[in-house]
Amino acid sequence: MQFLANPTRFLKIANAVLPYVWAITIALFAVGLYGALVTAPPDYQQGETVRIMYVHVPAAWMALFVYTVMALASAVAAIFRHPLADVAAKTAAPIGAVFCFLSLATGSLWGKPMWGAWWVWDARLTSMFVLMLLYIGYMAIWAAIEEPHRAAMVARVVALVGFINIPIVKFSVDWWNSLHQPASVFRMGGPTIAGPMLWPLLVMGLAYTFLFLALHLTAMRAEIAARKIRQIQIAEIGDR
Amino acid sequence: MDFSANHIGFVIASYALSFVCLAVLVLTTLGRDRKLRAEAERLDTQRKKARS
Repeated sequence: MQFLANPTRFLKIANAVLPYVWAITIALFAVGLYGALVTAPPDYQQGETVRIMYVHVPAAWMALFVYTVMALASAVAAIFRHPLADVAAKTAAPIGAVFCFLSLATGSLWGKPMWGAWWVWDARLTSMFVLMLLYIGYMAIWAAIEEPHRAAMVARVVALVGFINIPIVKFSVDWWNSLHQPASVFRMGGPTIAGPMLWPLLVMGLAYTFLFLALHLTAMRAEIAARKIRQIQIAEIGDR
Repeated sequence: MDFSANHIGFVIASYALSFVCLAVLVLTTLGRDRKLRAEAERLDTQRKKARS
């Protein structure tokens, strides 16, 4: 991990891998969307509405995964003083917030025809809504506190404390009586979804993961440049 | 996909919303990266020139 602590080394690796990551992302989306919209059959109960699953579920997975990345990066920053860990956590937040928003919005678009309601204060939906608030709160801290070291310290605490919500989201459907269906892919005993519906879902999940990787590396590269600009500007003030 | 199926509007809206949000995220991320890297490069060159 310390190998990547050097921003110059990180940038060299990021610049080399980014074109490949973008290319894999585009290819995965092409295959995943073909599977989701063309080859996957309609559900015997939900009909064509089941196709919302292929954009809703990967967005929900990524919302949880990205927050986990933020919490891990915050822990690494707090324990090891890794110079890029705060950059990783800070730049992951807006991407995770978009995934979280998409999960809530597409879930709502599925809920209206299937449940007859845009929104219910169900355990899964409420805990996802709390996750959205955590993302917004985390980004608000970075925006509100001007001094980067102080902002990083406060943001780390929010990311680590907020991580308690991740298992709550994951297990909410098991712990409480929920309108939301239980886990059907990552569960003990294997997936309960039929093969022709499962593979497009997994490919779309992989496409979203690679999209996150591409966006995260790009956003980290931009943040390193922003910090370099700040350092140059401070040095110029000192020279005067 | 059957475009005459019940509730198809909800399916199209989900894909359209996902596409728009992800496209905006990609474009803003790439735009910010390009702008900041160019600015850092410019300031760095300017600073090196001023020193020499």
